[in-house]
Amino acid sequence: MEKPLREGASPGPSWAPTESTAFRVYAAAVGERAEASPSAPGNGVSTRSSNLRAVRKRPFVARLTTDIVQTFEKCNPEFKYSESLNPKRFLTNPAVPVHNDGLDNANSDLILYVNLELVNIKSNRRLVFFSMLFTKYQLLPFRNIRPFTQEFPFHKEIRAMDLCFEMREYLSLSSFWYVIQEMLGQGTFGQVAKCWDAETNNYVAVKVIKNQPAFYQQAIMEVSLLSLLNERFDPDDQHHIVRMLDFFLYQNHLCIAFEMLGHNLYELLKRNSLRGLQMKYVRTFSRQILDALIVMKDAGIIHCDLKPENILIAPTKLEHYKYLLSRNSTINSGQPPDDLLREAKNTGRFFKHVGSIYPGSEARNGTGSAYRILSEDEIEARESKRPKVGRWYFPRGRLDRLIFTYPWKNLSEENLPETEKADCLALVDFLRGLVEFDPNKRWSPVQVGSINRHLQFNNALQPKIPFSYGSSCGSFGSHGSFNDNTGLASSYGSYDFNSANIYNSPMDPSGFNLRSQAGGSFLGSSPDIRRRPHLSHGGGIRLSPGGPGPMSLGASPSQFTPPNSHMQIPGAHGKYGASPSRGALGSSLGKAAAVGQYNRRRNQGYPPMPMPPPHEHTSQLIHGHQGDGVSAARFDAYGRGNSGYLHTTLPSHYSWRPHRGAGSGLPSDPSSSRGSFPPTNYNGFPPLHSDVSADTLPSTSSIPDPADWDPNYSDESLLQEDLSLSVELSGLHLRDSSGQTNRSSRLAPIQSHDITTSNPSASNQRYYSVFLMCSAIPKSLCYRNNTDTKSPLCRGESWSLVCSEQTATFRCKKGFWEDILVLDLEECGMPPN
Amino acid sequence: MDLPKPTSTAASSAGTETPNPHAFTCELPHSIYALAFSPTAPVLASGSFLEDLHNRVSLLSFDPVRPSAASFRALPALSFDHPYPPTKLQFNPCAAAPSLLASSADTLRIWHAPLDDLSASAAPPELRSVLDNRKASSEFSAPLTSFDWNEVEPRRIGTASIDTTCTVWDIDRGVVETQLIAHDKAVHDIAWGEAGVFASVSADGSVRVFDLRDKEHSTIVYESPRPDTPLLRLAWNRFDLRYMAALLMDSSAVVVLDIRAPGVPVAELHRHRACANAVAWAPQASRHLCSAGDDGQALIWELPETAPAPAPGAPAVPAEGIDPVLVYDAGAEINQLQWAAAHPDWMAIAFENKVQLLRV
Repeated sequence: MEKPLREGASPGPSWAPTESTAFRVYAAAVGERAEASPSAPGNGVSTRSSNLRAVRKRPFVARLTTDIVQTFEKCNPEFKYSESLNPKRFLTNPAVPVHNDGLDNANSDLILYVNLELVNIKSNRRLVFFSMLFTKYQLLPFRNIRPFTQEFPFHKEIRAMDLCFEMREYLSLSSFWYVIQEMLGQGTFGQVAKCWDAETNNYVAVKVIKNQPAFYQQAIMEVSLLSLLNERFDPDDQHHIVRMLDFFLYQNHLCIAFEMLGHNLYELLKRNSLRGLQMKYVRTFSRQILDALIVMKDAGIIHCDLKPENILIAPTKLEHYKYLLSRNSTINSGQPPDDLLREAKNTGRFFKHVGSIYPGSEARNGTGSAYRILSEDEIEARESKRPKVGRWYFPRGRLDRLIFTYPWKNLSEENLPETEKADCLALVDFLRGLVEFDPNKRWSPVQVGSINRHLQFNNALQPKIPFSYGSSCGSFGSHGSFNDNTGLASSYGSYDFNSANIYNSPMDPSGFNLRSQAGGSFLGSSPDIRRRPHLSHGGGIRLSPGGPGPMSLGASPSQFTPPNSHMQIPGAHGKYGASPSRGALGSSLGKAAAVGQYNRRRNQGYPPMPMPPPHEHTSQLIHGHQGDGVSAARFDAYGRGNSGYLHTTLPSHYSWRPHRGAGSGLPSDPSSSRGSFPPTNYNGFPPLHSDVSADTLPSTSSIPDPADWDPNYSDESLLQEDLSLSVELSGLHLRDSSGQTNRSSRLAPIQSHDITTSNPSASNQRYYSVFLMCSAIPKSLCYRNNTDTKSPLCRGESWSLVCSEQTATFRCKKGFWEDILVLDLEECGMPPN
Repeated sequence: MDLPKPTSTAASSAGTETPNPHAFTCELPHSIYALAFSPTAPVLASGSFLEDLHNRVSLLSFDPVRPSAASFRALPALSFDHPYPPTKLQFNPCAAAPSLLASSADTLRIWHAPLDDLSASAAPPELRSVLDNRKASSEFSAPLTSFDWNEVEPRRIGTASIDTTCTVWDIDRGVVETQLIAHDKAVHDIAWGEAGVFASVSADGSVRVFDLRDKEHSTIVYESPRPDTPLLRLAWNRFDLRYMAALLMDSSAVVVLDIRAPGVPVAELHRHRACANAVAWAPQASRHLCSAGDDGQALIWELPETAPAPAPGAPAVPAEGIDPVLVYDAGAEINQLQWAAAHPDWMAIAFENKVQLLRV
């Protein structure tokens, strides 16, 4: 048989069957015929094949490969082989077992190897959950209460966290396991491994935290923050924040599962030989980072380690460059306190970390900061110790030179395209705004983000922006009433930076209003210089691309409120202030405030509207309650407990002292605000809320109107939860008719205040833990009720837990939907009496 | 694609009830899996597949010059017992070296098989060495799914084990040269490319290439589309080391890989109507391969001449897929296929309890 092979074109030797081949030419028709009669003895062999095919189990090749152990077991019943005998390919270095019964190495890292299964056990913990629930929170007067088994290694600090775990474990009864595939990275916190998630058929990145209290605490914090960010502030994954998929405890190691992402930005830069990126990518990246930062700011979280290594690029996402903020996020509490920072402006540039910022270590018992300013001697010593080499990362001494000469495309400054030049100019100005040392003048993400956006898209809007800023600026000098509408973003920046108190973190508009008003009135006519960057930026950049020099920011000394003095106010009032924008505005004052928020959201100017601070404050208080379904218990707690709080804190703003504790003086405004706490609000709540002091925390994530300032609101409710242990537990606490809840809540502000000042980390943690705890329920409920789709049908406007003698009922409600889960306590091992 | 013109021989044999004149069958008393051609003698070794500790390796002789049904027969004198069904049999590929037969099952065994005397009074092959790498603590060693004898360096045999490792033995000294944790899951097949380069397939779904000069790293040439779909068999084109063929579990596809374009198969051959069980490259050509499967067909394929561009999504194969050039219907599920360099005109297939020699 000849084959018409083209010998010359063939890369290798050709082959052709012999003249007398057993094979025949393949043709589709032949194949079909053969298919029709598969046992046809076309080649004269078997006639039993069809029978054999029926009894045939699996091909030999499979039985001697994938099933070889079973095959060998059949051959030899004594034969046995277990995968545990496989040699382990260790990923952790060192892999020498030291701690934790030989599971950990000397660094307290879990010794990871390929195919190790990180199991998230979620079953068989129901009894624990219930007994804990009942013993700790006295839900039901059961006599035979099983002792709460403490299985967590650092129990004292994480009691609320335990509850989280237990809740989740109870409510999702299946267990997940993650099979380790390869190591992605090792760090001080622990390790990150690429794992196969059999449940979802996906790869995930699992962070395995070291088995040490400090790291554990830090990671718990990360879990709290991420779930806060994911579920509350970015529920639709729009803001480039990494998604946390799961967290659990495995062999005393906290494990956090993240979505799998690609390279980090540093690697990208390195692949480009560290020559930088084209401006349009810089802009794209910046915008996404700012977007995330704005969300974080809303959440009251500072990313303390924002660097290229911590920005991962998601290759498959639609937006092409997805960013995340993952590691080392921390609440403001880890920062040096603002007074130190302020001092630092004068005395030196460096801080020294004199204690661990981790809660649980010695710093917890300290009075506040783990930082202190270095003395000049220390700075000198440090400077001298530091080798001269390597200190100059960039060959140019000036920012603008650096940017203009960055060799992103082997282009020198002369032959840069004009558009690129203009972009460079914009970047210079942008960076100058960011590196401003004075936190008051430094740009905030919102500010920057707006500029960035406008630069990019809204050229038509540009004339407006500086204009409105200007107008607001001009009228603002004497009265600070509405500077927040435009300048709020700028206030943000300094605020966040300096704040050492978690209660600052929810940057709610009312707080800003109040503060800026205060600032305005006390400072008199000192112009808010932070408007200037806006001015020059919005209009100037494009108009005069040639000269970056005059654009310098922060040239004018801005005498702004030391943010510290306002610390309590935004937090306290934020609870009420944020909501008005959601509608139901009763008074013009409130409306004004709401509009202000609205405008700020859109970064537009707003005509100045002088308004006395106390009034506005009051109105916001009222409307806050009206606008939102704050739970009755909380409201009540605040209505009564907060009055004292206002008394003490408000004056401190006026007196301009960095006042953290209780203050005194000027009771008039607060008292008016207290007087305006209308009980009607209280009555206006849905029965579900009044019935059980349910938490609205997990519910507020989906708000239809983008103009809403919802994140703040949620933060506020979070804050409340933190205020005291009793309030914290209110989510699970059946409120009896005697109103004990209220009484205990009354203590909340004071308690929390103390906690906050003395030990912010602990309270933060509890605060977020409770959030987690609460948020865990509705979601899980949804999953339980919709096991087919796994879609969160009901994110829960509220949830409640009602216990009777026989049953415990979880209810999760949103709009018309209500998911109800009734648990038979007896079945759960909790027989009545 | 160039299709060979149908010849009268092939066409006539297809539709007739007469036995194929170029296929010779030898029946054995047990089902057969492993097959091996001797490079020196006209001998074929076959290993039984019995779910019993006692299995048997039979040697069959044939006449490559004047083939006849009578000349293809078992040599009972040269058959010997083997514990567990052999997962693979292979003669020493170096004709000059002493004639050795290696088998893998629970361990790697080397048998001395002179094959110079094929008479009824000949002595059966003697077990020369048992190469066992088990740990002292374990009672049983991890089963070997396959092995491959290095043609360039005949003292090297690489074994594939379900314990995720590949072991390279120095059979002259009877010691382990190196053992690599090659995969994340059980290794199912191994094939040498050069003296120090081998490739392996695994239950983890990957084809990896190892170079003994750098044991820390491997190159993943291919990963099965859905992760964790095990790969069962691997054949490395001896003539053109760019090409490999791999079989997936429960898949009728033969995946042809070009190691210059990792990750994207140059071709997927989809004409089997049931799962493919064996694949072999033509011993003396670079673009032909044969595959056999549960549909009872042995298909000979010819890859397109022009090397496809390695760009993903742009394979140089026709959209409807590649048709095989030749086909043979065995009529029963073909479990094994051997196409040896020593006898390039002959191919051996195993189905049921039959070994069949096919002239190609």
